[in-house]
Amino acid sequence: MSKQVLEALTAALPGAVVRTASPHGDDTAWIKRDELVKVALWLRDDAKMLFDAPVFCTCIDWLDWKPVGRPLAEHWDETKPRYTVAYQLRSSKYKHRIRLEIELPESDPRCPSLADLWPAFNWQERETFDMYGIRFDGHPDLRRIYLYEEFVGYPLRKDYPKEKRQPLVRRDDLPINPIKAPHAGEHK
Amino acid sequence: MSESVTLTIDGQSITVPKGTNVLEAAKLLGNDISAFCYHPGLPIVAQCRQCLVSVEKNPKLQPSCQQVVAEGMVVHTTDPQSTLARKQQLEFTLVNHPIDCPICDKAGECTLQKLYFDHDNADSRVDTNKVHKAKVVDLGPHIVLDQERCILCSRCIRTCDVVAGQHQLEFANRGDHEVLTTAPGEQLDNAYSLNTVDVCPVGALTAKDFRFTMRAWELEATPSVCNGCATGCNIEIHHKNERAWRLVPRLNAEVNQYWMCDEGRFTYHGLREERLASAIVDGLPASWDKAIQTAAKRLGVFLKDPSQVGVVLSALCSNEDNYALAKLAKAWGAGHVYIAGKPPVPARADGKLRVADVNPNTTGVKAICEAFGFTAIPTYELDRGLPENLRALVMLGDVVPGLDANKLKELEVISLSAHERGPVPSARVALPIAAWAEIGATTTNIKGRVQRMHAAFAPPGAALAGWDAIVRLAAATGQKLAWSHARDVFKDMTQTVAAWKDLTWQRDVRPLALRFAGSRG
Amino acid sequence: MADAHTLKQLVLGRKDVQDLSDTEQDLPPDLMTVNMGPSHPAMHGTVRIVLTVDGEKIVKGDVQPGYLHRCFEKESEHATYTQVFPYTDRLNYVSPMINNCGWAMVAEKLMGLTGKLPRRAEYVRVIVSEMSRMTDHLTCVGASAMELGAFTPFLYLLKSREWLYELLEKVSGARLTHSYVRIGGVSKDLPEGFGPELTACLDKIASVMVECENLLNNNKIFRDRMAGIGCLSKEDAIRTGCVGPIARAAGVDYDVRRDYPYSIYPELEFDVPLGTTGDCYDRYLVRLEELKQCIRILRQCLVQLPDGPVMSDDHRVALPAKQATYNTIESMIRHFKHIMDGVRVPAGETYAFLEGGNGELGFFVVSDGTGRPYKAYCRSPSFVHLSTAEMLFKNHFIADVVPIFGMINMIGGECDK
Repeated sequence: MSKQVLEALTAALPGAVVRTASPHGDDTAWIKRDELVKVALWLRDDAKMLFDAPVFCTCIDWLDWKPVGRPLAEHWDETKPRYTVAYQLRSSKYKHRIRLEIELPESDPRCPSLADLWPAFNWQERETFDMYGIRFDGHPDLRRIYLYEEFVGYPLRKDYPKEKRQPLVRRDDLPINPIKAPHAGEHK
Repeated sequence: MSESVTLTIDGQSITVPKGTNVLEAAKLLGNDISAFCYHPGLPIVAQCRQCLVSVEKNPKLQPSCQQVVAEGMVVHTTDPQSTLARKQQLEFTLVNHPIDCPICDKAGECTLQKLYFDHDNADSRVDTNKVHKAKVVDLGPHIVLDQERCILCSRCIRTCDVVAGQHQLEFANRGDHEVLTTAPGEQLDNAYSLNTVDVCPVGALTAKDFRFTMRAWELEATPSVCNGCATGCNIEIHHKNERAWRLVPRLNAEVNQYWMCDEGRFTYHGLREERLASAIVDGLPASWDKAIQTAAKRLGVFLKDPSQVGVVLSALCSNEDNYALAKLAKAWGAGHVYIAGKPPVPARADGKLRVADVNPNTTGVKAICEAFGFTAIPTYELDRGLPENLRALVMLGDVVPGLDANKLKELEVISLSAHERGPVPSARVALPIAAWAEIGATTTNIKGRVQRMHAAFAPPGAALAGWDAIVRLAAATGQKLAWSHARDVFKDMTQTVAAWKDLTWQRDVRPLALRFAGSRG
Repeated sequence: MADAHTLKQLVLGRKDVQDLSDTEQDLPPDLMTVNMGPSHPAMHGTVRIVLTVDGEKIVKGDVQPGYLHRCFEKESEHATYTQVFPYTDRLNYVSPMINNCGWAMVAEKLMGLTGKLPRRAEYVRVIVSEMSRMTDHLTCVGASAMELGAFTPFLYLLKSREWLYELLEKVSGARLTHSYVRIGGVSKDLPEGFGPELTACLDKIASVMVECENLLNNNKIFRDRMAGIGCLSKEDAIRTGCVGPIARAAGVDYDVRRDYPYSIYPELEFDVPLGTTGDCYDRYLVRLEELKQCIRILRQCLVQLPDGPVMSDDHRVALPAKQATYNTIESMIRHFKHIMDGVRVPAGETYAFLEGGNGELGFFVVSDGTGRPYKAYCRSPSFVHLSTAEMLFKNHFIADVVPIFGMINMIGGECDK
């Protein structure tokens, strides 16, 4: 609702902001990837902004984007960025909210990590990496969180079929069948 | 005068080529004006009056399908007058429409359902009996008509007139008793009759082949190319649970526009006929490893003098499969190369979509042979008999007319086939390969156009893609073909065949759930 | 001390402790790795914590969630908006009505229906949400008390929860997996006599809570195990994204119902309890106080509950009546399209949030104009809170993991989605 946040952001860091909008009342700013940390620091530390509370971090895969009721030019094609990483922030003092969206090309799905600024994003960026394969540069511990390490692929990507199976995983650190493992003195 | 025109629709400006109608221009803006009788491939009649819009400086509402764009035209589609007109038109259409949705084949892909839900959504104001007409009218060998569901848009009549060139359907009676019926003395039996089922916006025309077999919203659509003849109409395979349920045409302005012939539609039945699902060695099922080893051992004997080895390429298999076998043959130095394919059917050639050559890939196989420098001999011209020094034959496919069945028994035959018929049961080793609907590969149509098919589902049992089987066979006989994906075969192939060097591999398309794709009508 | 090989033989049961020599039986001096979970009575909803301990003191804890991951987001992309409601039930499965309401809110926000629902529908949603919030807090407090050895409050509080479940079963048909809320309202009205039954139930619960407070609040064992354990400062709580009772216990004054009001909460009076130290005892007290506030809200709702429809009559969201469906083609088509195609939500993206049992529960949905979501992300407070667990465990004893973990109220379904 408060357009002032978007206006202040565009005034303070004009080179970083690609565009702004407020769909359904959510203030959203599209930020260039290389300026993300600068923008995030400003949003967190500026006296009028004070976005100290992280809300969520996720990613949108635009591969199948064919919106109904929108012009054909908005359909996704190979020339457009495939992923958008979205960070939502909140200010506990001023109660305003903002969403930062960063567009990433398919060939280079990397995004700077904001885990050092807001510790909540540590796990949420791990989740986004786990599900979409977005590499967060500067993340202290980027590994899978929900899925097991041997999982192949990134399931929430649109080209990962829902029914796809994963191979069974061998665990050599476990005995084959501890109940039936032979004890000394037993036959066989 | 420039070739493009700028107009304003609902306050948004758009530039379109001259001659576009307002309905198409609005579609580019994402504005879906409701329409029944308009079809981009058929003559425009503005019969249903569903697409009425307000055009400034024009006191009456105009049908947007017939209204050609003009420079500076201002069109309104959301104003109360045209919105009310479209709603009332839908209301009229629905007044006598039977409540058949639960039993109607078109449910889930019905334009009437879609337009009502998107544009009207009002309650019924009528409480009288509906007009009754004939419910199950046999129009011809493939199509059943339900006269009550027909909304009298005349798309089917125009389809028969324009696509098939035969006038077989027309309207009879007037008012609310008007019905669709066959022209006097005619039946709906032209070779393109099933296109009328596609264009019918409601469930009035249903295909005997498909009706009551599967619900449309459960299907998934994968784009592919028809393998019925050399035209290579672009199609969609509608499948569910690893099984194809019907084929419908896909728009390709250069090949088949919006249509395909009836014969092509039935080719999906062949995907389930006599499929070879496991490798066979000496008439008994065996594992891939055993089959490959046996084949390699047997061939190895004759490969010492490669002029004894022959290879049969197939005009019914994809470019990639044929290229793989041709490359292997070249690496072996095989002495005989044949092309197998069904004999031509001259009666089919009607100047529209059907051609005499019923093999999907003759041009492709010939191009591959030329690129490798083979002089390939068609098998069906080989009725003189087999050459003296031929001892072993590696055959792609199961259709080999002209090769004497008895003589084949004297040869060492390694067969790579999707179906277990023809020469396959008597082959020494039969390796199962995937059929056309199960692979991501290309075929070349009669005009030399290379078209990409996409895999709708996995092949049955242990079958693999043809090129994959050939890679294994090659490895076992000491030749290395370093391909791990059809994309690699394609790259190699386009570098070898000069005519195809500018082609690029299209990304795999995932099946589209019809349920959320909207009406096809 | 025994070497690694001997230890392995001991663990696998091939050697017995008595067979070891004296030197082998000494405890090793280095850090030990102890595995808690995923199958552990205190690891609610399967979470694995790999603790590195120095004796009994925790040096590092690697919390590994994901054992209950059921691909909520991927499944939602293949289902209509209405079909996602059963999936949302299974997110925070101790307060499922709130998840339902959250999902309905995000679809309504995209369709522009926020604030246009019938009043009775809004009141019914608030009533069942607050009842769900009560079941959430009762479960959390009861289970945590039991894990510290207090079995009686566990039974008392779960009995109270059962009274609420009986009422919710009368409303929706199921104790836990309600799928009661719909886009545009709720699926059916409250049953006859619901008001007096709920009032009687609330009276009973209020007296049970007094008993439990008497049993726990000044109980030396309970206080010793909870007070001063797992302290969370206000700044840390905000930075790590904590919301809900955990943040309020740390002193963060944030409640979505009051700060970003939705539904009919502006017309209700309730207080937001705040703690001071952010330790487990404060979280426990905050939850107890919130239970009392829930009872207060519910009493107001029952008084203010208006008559009227419980479902919007907007044809974009409402199913037609059965009589019309079978007798008119229009309603037949509409019924068919609602079920098969789903409610048409215009293309766009938004984030709608509400106060769940654990704090700010939100759904970030990207819609492509068809009847199913293009992307449905659930911002689950439990996931965020679980990420603070490691920070809270540090320098505590293994036994402290139990109250800390219990008071975080990490619901496995919500955490792992």
